[in-house]
Formats: sequence, structure tokens, C-alpha cells
Amino acid sequence: MIPRLLMRLLTKKRFIPFVTGIALLAFVACGGSDTGSSTVASTSTAVPAAVAQDSSSGENSRVAPELRDTESTSASTNVGTDFESRAGGTFRRLWSDPPTLDPHQVTDTTSAGLVVELFSGLVKLSKELQIVPDLAESWEITGDGKIYTFTLRENLMFSDGSPITAADFKWSWERAANPDTESTVADVYLGDIVGINAIVDGDAVSSDGITVIDERTLRVTIDDAKPYFIAKLTYPTAFVLKQENVEAGGDRWTDTPVGTGPFVLDDYRVGERIVFARNENFNHRKAYLDKVLFNLAGGIAMAMYETDEIDITGVGLADLERVQDPDEPLNRDLVNIPPGFSISYVGFNTEKAPFDDMKFRQALNLAVNKELIAESVYAGLVLPAYGILPPDFPGFTGDIVGLRFDPDDPEASEARARAVLAESKYADPETRPRIVITIPGTGGSPSLDVEIVADMWRNVLGVEAEIQQVEWATYLQDLNRERLQAFGGLGWEADYPDPQDFLDILFHSESPGNHGRFSSDIVDSLVERARTEPDPQMRIDLYRQAEQEIITQAAWLPLWFDTEGKGLIKPYIKDYKFTPIIVPKLGDVWIDK
Amino acid sequence: MATETLQDVFPSDTGPDAGREEERSHSPFRRALGRLLRKKIAVAAMTVLFILYGAGIFAQFVDTHDPNKIDLRATQEGPSWDHWLGTDRAGRDIYSRVVWGLQTTVIITLIGLVTGSLVLGVTLGLLAGYYRGWFDVSVMRFGEVVASFPDVLLIILIAATLRPRIINTTRDFEDWSGIDGIVSSGAVDFFVVGIALLPLSWFGMMRLVRGQVLSLRAMPFVESAQAIGVSTPRMIFSHLLPNVLGPIIVTASFGLGAVAGSEIFLSFLGLGVQPPRPSLGFMINDVTARGAASVSVLQNHPEQLLAPIAVIWALIFCWNLLGDSLNDVFNPRTR
Amino acid sequence: MLAYTVRRLLWTPVLLVAVSLFVFVLGEYGPGDPVEVALGQNYTEERAERLREQRGLNDPVPVRYFRYIGNALKGDFGDSFVFRGRSVAGLLGPKLWVSARLFFAGFAISVGIGVPLGFFAATRQGTWVDPTIVAITLVLLAMPVFIFAPALILLFALNLSWLPVSGWGGFWDTRIILPAVTIGMPGIAVMTRMMRASTLDVLGQDYVRTARAKGLGEFTVRRRHVARNALIPVLTILGFSIAGMLGGALIVELIYGIPGVARFALDSIFSRDFPVITALALIGATALVVANLVVDILYAVVDPRITYR
Repeated sequence: MIPRLLMRLLTKKRFIPFVTGIALLAFVACGGSDTGSSTVASTSTAVPAAVAQDSSSGENSRVAPELRDTESTSASTNVGTDFESRAGGTFRRLWSDPPTLDPHQVTDTTSAGLVVELFSGLVKLSKELQIVPDLAESWEITGDGKIYTFTLRENLMFSDGSPITAADFKWSWERAANPDTESTVADVYLGDIVGINAIVDGDAVSSDGITVIDERTLRVTIDDAKPYFIAKLTYPTAFVLKQENVEAGGDRWTDTPVGTGPFVLDDYRVGERIVFARNENFNHRKAYLDKVLFNLAGGIAMAMYETDEIDITGVGLADLERVQDPDEPLNRDLVNIPPGFSISYVGFNTEKAPFDDMKFRQALNLAVNKELIAESVYAGLVLPAYGILPPDFPGFTGDIVGLRFDPDDPEASEARARAVLAESKYADPETRPRIVITIPGTGGSPSLDVEIVADMWRNVLGVEAEIQQVEWATYLQDLNRERLQAFGGLGWEADYPDPQDFLDILFHSESPGNHGRFSSDIVDSLVERARTEPDPQMRIDLYRQAEQEIITQAAWLPLWFDTEGKGLIKPYIKDYKFTPIIVPKLGDVWIDK
Repeated sequence: MATETLQDVFPSDTGPDAGREEERSHSPFRRALGRLLRKKIAVAAMTVLFILYGAGIFAQFVDTHDPNKIDLRATQEGPSWDHWLGTDRAGRDIYSRVVWGLQTTVIITLIGLVTGSLVLGVTLGLLAGYYRGWFDVSVMRFGEVVASFPDVLLIILIAATLRPRIINTTRDFEDWSGIDGIVSSGAVDFFVVGIALLPLSWFGMMRLVRGQVLSLRAMPFVESAQAIGVSTPRMIFSHLLPNVLGPIIVTASFGLGAVAGSEIFLSFLGLGVQPPRPSLGFMINDVTARGAASVSVLQNHPEQLLAPIAVIWALIFCWNLLGDSLNDVFNPRTR
Repeated sequence: MLAYTVRRLLWTPVLLVAVSLFVFVLGEYGPGDPVEVALGQNYTEERAERLREQRGLNDPVPVRYFRYIGNALKGDFGDSFVFRGRSVAGLLGPKLWVSARLFFAGFAISVGIGVPLGFFAATRQGTWVDPTIVAITLVLLAMPVFIFAPALILLFALNLSWLPVSGWGGFWDTRIILPAVTIGMPGIAVMTRMMRASTLDVLGQDYVRTARAKGLGEFTVRRRHVARNALIPVLTILGFSIAGMLGGALIVELIYGIPGVARFALDSIFSRDFPVITALALIGATALVVANLVVDILYAVVDPRITYR
């Protein structure tokens, strides 16, 4: 799952603009959602907790229809003075070429950040990360939790002014699943719907699970009572497209897309720029901004910000001190960027020796002093990870017992790691198979934390590991085919706020996102039960148990969570909100100057 | 890559001048060397190069720390008695990394010089100039094909496509033969980067030597040697080669600067010799996040760039300076 | 002369075929199957097969090669693997045009500054001016472009606020100044040195002495006899200096955020977009070959002493 196989941490903290542009261009996710991939790159950023979301919440996934979005209700009606006084202007930022603008093919943050502003679906994530109605007005769920009946808002329009009906959704979802669309994630986001998997497998072209009741009513039947299903509909794979537009455009329909987002695509020149213009037929309050300019040509973000060539940027390590100085003019523009819901890690292929031995994996975990790395190398801009779910993410409990190296008592910690290694069947260096950690990219700092980890293994355990760097294309290919023995340089960023997005997708033994072939009957049964558990608290608890088991069995070496970062935003840019997951947000931004 | 052009700048197809021909009989090299040593600048450049190359070659003896020794309790320190040039963000000793980075450059430039310029370039040039005919034509045509690539594109293409293949093959070989550490020693990288830089060095040299030989063939001393039945190898090595040595040395001097510059450029892009093997270009890549943070680093922490930049600059500067002096010495007309 | 030109012209296509073949083969043996990458974890033999069929990747290499060349001659370089549905020609066109103008600006700076400077240095031989100029060019020549570019930004854009930091606004725009200077800098050094050497050479020639002996003014002598003849050898390296600017262009386009072709080339190589790579290699080689051809012929025209066999 390239999608979320987000190299966000990477791109954000240790990659630089061009790299993002380069390696990731093709297939990979990249880019910080908030400051623009390029900018963020050098930035070591992130933290946040501005997101006051209720972390207790399995409820997120079960939004009752009456939970109305104030924004959308007020929306179409309030084209009044408020709008007039704020409308106008262009918001400028760096970005990179998106691998695709077709919502159904999106798997990465660079594309998603653009697509959510051009298209939309039945529901969306609000900036507070609540699931709120978008094109749907309300929905009802049957008692067994398997049948969803959506009622669309009245008089919905595409950006070209043509009407939207329930049939458009049916067509769009079936199109997303069709193998000809080449979506790599249709099964992940829509596969719960009865009949979709048959389309994905090429055995059918339409799904019995999606029924058009009338123009405004859509009935969706899913295969089991999965409370997180509605959350998946916020992802671009479930967005609505206009059939005539897609079919007429062929391979290049995204050059002139007809969407339902706050903006329409005005101009796209590969490697140069993307320009958005206001969607005058938007179904909610129209966007304030006349234009959004995404600069794709790269450049030095900080310098461009200082000379007023862009309106927003992340702040990298090299500039951190300077912008924090109260005498520095830039200091007035300084803002905190909340951490993304992401984790970076070193993955182990649990079917390949020596990583098939749990004790060995545990020893490797125990030997790494993450606190020391976080502090001395990353200046505290990363948070050592001992669990899988990021802080403040739904399901995060904070009581996972990690395989932790205690920085205050290094001797005891080292001894403990060595003791665990001694119990491993690979305790003897003579007979231990060779270890190669593969990292993506070409040259460059992304390898630094992996290098340090390997160094700690060597010093503490006497375990030698080679680091091999291959290009992104080759890396992804090997990763997907599970050829890699151990792999670094990876991160995963949440697509929707539900623990299923991490624990099930990454660790269920049959999930395609489980690149290390981790297989545990306990974890499988826990996450399977959690899929259909109706009681939110119970569900969280099942996930907590699964997470603990994953950690105890040392499926990965978790490395870092995001922490709050620093960004600069021009004072005249109003109502721009940084969020830990990509959500549509540019429609509310306005310029005051 | 600025320096690349230099080797091409050397007027390659011009014949030897009459003046040099006269000197031949009086051990032209001793005279040239004497002239060179009288040039203070040349001596200074040679001294610096000598020191830099010496440091690189004997890196294991002149370093003060293991260049990859990570010490997270001493990151980004300033110069001190223990760390002469301070430490980088992983606490590695910058002085030792510079010295080992120099070794990487030394190895690559020597590979480039020996395989590219000397063996391929000179040999093919001598043979093509001497035999002419189809051999000459085919070598020249092939060279033209290679030379008509934009060299940067070619280098990057080779480094990006061939390297993974070769590394995989070598790994398979290691597994099969049980010999360990070929890949981790960096030998494969040296080989690949060496190959990638080949097109840079051989054709210019070959064309130059060929041109010289072509004109020499018409000289009376060659004709008389042929008349008295001197054997071909003897003809090439005793009569032709010594007469083209001057231009060869000048070109090689510029060429070494160019190869060093290209190696550093490649590692800056992340396509050169791979970590953990230290290299100068990579050190800059690391500090500036491959250029993205370059302005910020220059603005806020220029000291982090100072050591690698100074060494790179000195290296290329001195090669060019030396090349210049050699040029003056061997090409008296432009003195 | 005519025969030589004709021969060179006939040889050019052969050269280009060889170049394209080389790139094509390298692509064949490069790592990373584009189909596998495109399919990711949805990879199945069946789907891969279908995609290969769609993209015509199943035909034998020679068939694909000749099909490619046939289309290329018509200006159709196929579609990009990465930017789906976009033609390579459509993608590269605007970027080539941007880079071409940038190159030209850099080239104009190299020649415009380098040639007079070299001439000036040569005529001041023996004074402090000459060695100073030589030293400066050597210092600049040894400066890696990946440091020179950010240093210029820091100085002229941030500290002095004279010029913008990045972007592209066409040839007549202040944003072109810094990148053009960066690209042209090594060229200035090379041109200065070439011009200086060649001027010194000419100054020692008999016809210069003759001209002076005739009582022509020093200015006339220099302009008419020295400068003109000294320029001839400088011509030969124009072609090379264009090729040499490519490396600089790469860094310049990255750091100054210019939507040019060099950065795109690097992106394409990393993402294995072989239709783009092949097209770029072909176009680059063509440009280089043509430039050298023009220079050669020009050279033969201006300097009748040169004969080609």
C-alpha cells in the first residue's frame, strides 16, 4: 500500500525538495500534507496537538446522521456580505508533481492534498477530524450494521453545473474498482461493499451491494458490520466523478476534470505549476480564494518565503534557531504545525532468517536507544515510538508496554538486550545469516537513523547489518513482492482516524500492506473481532491488545512519531489550519490585505 | 561540473610544435621538469596535491577516529583537541571523514586516470594514429557516439541503471562463493563510478594522442626509423610515445581535476560511492539536504560546510593550476 | 571542404541511431520493471501481462526499437510512463524551450565576459592585471556549482535584496540573472583562459609584427589582426562548453526552481520513465552533434588554413 506507505516522515524531515520531486514522482507517496511536500522536506517538523479530537473514540467511525456539519448547513446560504468581504486573492505555495489527479488512483499524500480540493464524496473529514456529511445529507444504518442508506443533498451540482444523482456514485465506485482503472487501493477502501471485490478481480462489472433507490437515495450493503466503513468513504477512492467527463477524456481526463470540490483545475503544467480557481458551482459556501498557485518547480523554500514568493513554508533544522529569535522579523509569522498521524519504522521480514526468530527481533528492539537519537540527532523533533498508534490518534491508549531501552540506565538496558539475544537461535554470530537493511532513495540523509540503529546493534549486540540503498522504483517493487529482508526509510500515515488503518492493514497476516509477512493468530483474531465489534470501548480494547501483541512480538522496530514542527505563514493568510491528516481546507482560507 | 570542460579545452588536434622537436634530443623531460620546478605556483600546487593525496592514500594512518564512529553524545561540536574539525550531527569526526572522503576521490581519480585516460585513451590513440585505416575509423566513430551524449546524462544514467544490476550480481556471487564483504567494501561502487566516469576521460585523450601520432608519422625521424626496420612495438614505445608524453601529462592533469569534480558532483546527487564509505560530495549532500537547505546552512551555519568545501575547492583548484603550469612548460608558444 | 561537410552530414544520422540504440538497450537492462512498479501490490501475472500488452512491451526488442525510431522521426516519442496519457513531446517541449533560453543566457554571459576579459589579460601580460585575472578564473572554476548557486542567492537575493530568489519569467526577466550567471560562470573562466592563450599566440605571429611595422595604430592592429584571429580557436570549444553547462544546469534548475529540462531528466531517470529518458538522450545528442557540426564547419570557413581529410 503505497498509499499510506507514506514516506511522510522521510520526506518531511530528511528529504529535500528535489528528492521529493524526483524519486517520488512516480509512484510514491510523499510530501507533508501541510506545508507542501517540498517545503516540509527539510523541515523537521511537526507536532500537534492542536487537534483536540476525542481520542476515546471509536465513535469517530460511527457518526450519527444527525451530527450535522455546521459548515455545510450554513454553506450554500451564506453567500452574503461575509463572502464578499473575504473573497479574492491568490494563495501561493510549493508542491510537487502529483503522481495522479484521478481520485480513484490516489495513494499518496501529494496527490491527495490536491484531489480533496477538486473532488469530494458523500462524507468528509472536517478540520477537527470528525466525519461529517458532504454531498450526503444524512444516512441511516440498519440494526445489523450492514446496510447504509444515504440521502443526497438537494440540487447537487458538478463544477460544470450538471446535476449529481445517486447513480453517479454507483458508477464512480464501480469504476474505481474496475481493473482498467488500475487503482491499487480500491479493494482497501471499497472492498467491504458486497460485490466490489468481484469487480476488482475482473469477474464482474457491477456490484449488487450498491443500489440506486432514487435520484437522491443510495443504498450500500457491506459484508459485515464494520464501524470504520464510513470513515473509508472519506478517502478519494470513494469520491464521485462525472461519467461523461471521465469517458470523454480517456487517459487524460484529469486535464479537464469536472469535480465537486471547492476548486476547479485551472492550469497544470508538469514540473512548473498547478493553478486552482474557485468552483462557482460548489455545493457549499464557495471558496474565498480566487486562485491557489502550487509551484512545482522547486527552489529554496525559506528564501522564497522571505522574498514573498510563497505564502507558507516549513522551517528546517538549519533555520530553526534563527526564526525562534524574537528579534528576527520572521518570528512574527511562526506557527506550530501539529504532528501528522504517522510512524516511521524499520520493518522485518518475519519469514526470512534471522528475523523469523521473535527473540532476535526483540533483542534488536531492546538495543536501540531512541531517546538519545531523538535528542542529539533530531533536536527533539521526533518522538521515540514504542507502540504503533500515534499519540492522540483514536485508539491510542498510552499504556502499551514497549521494548524500551532505558536511557537513564544504559548498562542494564544493554545487558537486557544481550540476554534476550542469548536466548535467540541466532545468538551465535558464526551461524547467523547475513543481514541487509534496504532503504529507498539515492544517497542522502534518509539513511542516517538507520545507520545509527545499525551502529547500536553492532555496539550493544555485536550484530552486523549492512545497509543497502536502492532507488524508489526498485525498492517499492521489492517491498511489494516481499523480497526485502529488512527495510528502513518507511513511514505510514493515517488516511482516516481509525485504528484499523494501522493495526489491521499493516499487521493482519493476509493484508497486502503487511510487507514483513508478520503472522500471528492472536493478532489476526483480535483485529478480525475488532472489525465488527459494535461497542466502541470494547473495540478500542481489542486493538489495544492487538497492538501490545504486535509490539511484544517485535514485528517492527518502530522508530518515530511526528512531533510538533514549526512553520511560517504570512500574517495576511487567514484561517489556514494545519491538520494531522489530509482534509479539504483551502476553501476556508482567505486573504486579508 | 565546471571543470569538465577543461580537458576538452586543451587544443587536441594540433600537431607538436617544431620547438619541442628540437628539445627532444636533450632529454626534454628533465628540461620541462626544471622549468616546472622554477614556477613557484606549480610547486605550491604540487605540494598541496601531494598533501591531499597523501592524506587520502594513507587515510587509515592519518585519521584520528573511525570516520563512521557514531557518538551521539558529541554531536555538532566545534573544533577541539579531540575533534580537529569538530563533529557532524551524528557525532562523527569531520576531519577523519574528510580524509576518508579524500581517499574515495583519490581512488576514483586514479581509476579514471589509469583505466580511462592512460590505458584506453593512450593505447587506442597510439594504435589508431599508427595503424590508421579501419581501426582508426571504428575507434573514432565509436568515440564520437559516446562523446555525443550529454555526459552528465550519460553518467547519471549509468550510475542509476547499471549499479543495481552489478550490486545484485555481486551479492549473488558472494552468497554463492561464500566470500563476504565485496559489496560492503565499496569495491562495486568504485567500479561503477569508475565506469560511469570513463566516457569523460578516454575519448579526449585518445583523440589528442592520435592527432599527435598522425603528425609525428610524417616526421623524418619516424620515417628513417621505419626505413631501418625498427619493429612496431619499439616504434610505438620508444619513438612515438615519448614524443606525446608532454601533451598527455597536461591533459591528464586537467582531466584529474575534472574527474575529481565529477565524482564529487555524483556523490552530491547521491549517485556516487555510497555510504557508509565517506565521500566529500556526500558530506555536503548530508549537511544541505541535497541542496534544499543549502542557503539556510550557508546563512546560519556556514562552518558545517567549511571543511569539505575547502578541500574540494583546493583539490580542483590545484589540479587546474598545475595543468596550467604544465601547459606553459610543454607548450612554450602560449607562455 | 564540401566533401567534408557532406560526409559529416551523412555521418550524423548514423551517430544518432547508435546513440538511441545504446539508450534503448540500457533501458532494457536497467532495474525496475515499470509494469511491476505501476501495479504495486496489486501485481498479478495476469494484470502485468495485460498492461505489457497494452503498452506494447511484449514485442521483441528490435521491433520495439524500430517502431520507436519510426515514430520519433515523426516527432512522436510516445507517452510517458509516469505522467499517464501525456506525450513525451508535449512534456519536454516547454521545458526544452525554458532550458534553451537559460542556456543561451548563460552562454552569452560566458562569451560576453570571458572573451573580452581573456583578450584584456593577454594584452596586459607582464603586469599585475594578467596574473590576477588568471587567478580569479581559476578560483571560480574550482568552485563547485552546488555551493556557488546558494552563495549567490544568499548574497544577491537575501542580503542585498537586489534580485528574486527563484522562478522563471522568460528571457527578459530579472529572475534569469542569477541562474544564468551560475551556469555561465565556469564558461567565463574557460573562455577567458582560451582567449588569453590564443591572443598571446597571435601576438607573437609575424603578421602582427608586420602590421605594426606598417605603422597601423595599436587599436587597429589589436582589433583587426589580433582579436579576430585569436577568436578562431575559441570557436572550437563553444560546442564543448555547451555540453559542459549541462551539469551546472541540473543544479541550477534544482536550486533556483526553474521548470527546465535538466531537473526533469533527473526525475525521469529516477522514476525509470524510459520514453522520456530515451527522448532526452536523443534530443541531447542531436543538439550536441549539430552544435559540433556547425562549429566544425564554421571553423573551416573562418580559417582557411585548416584542411580536412
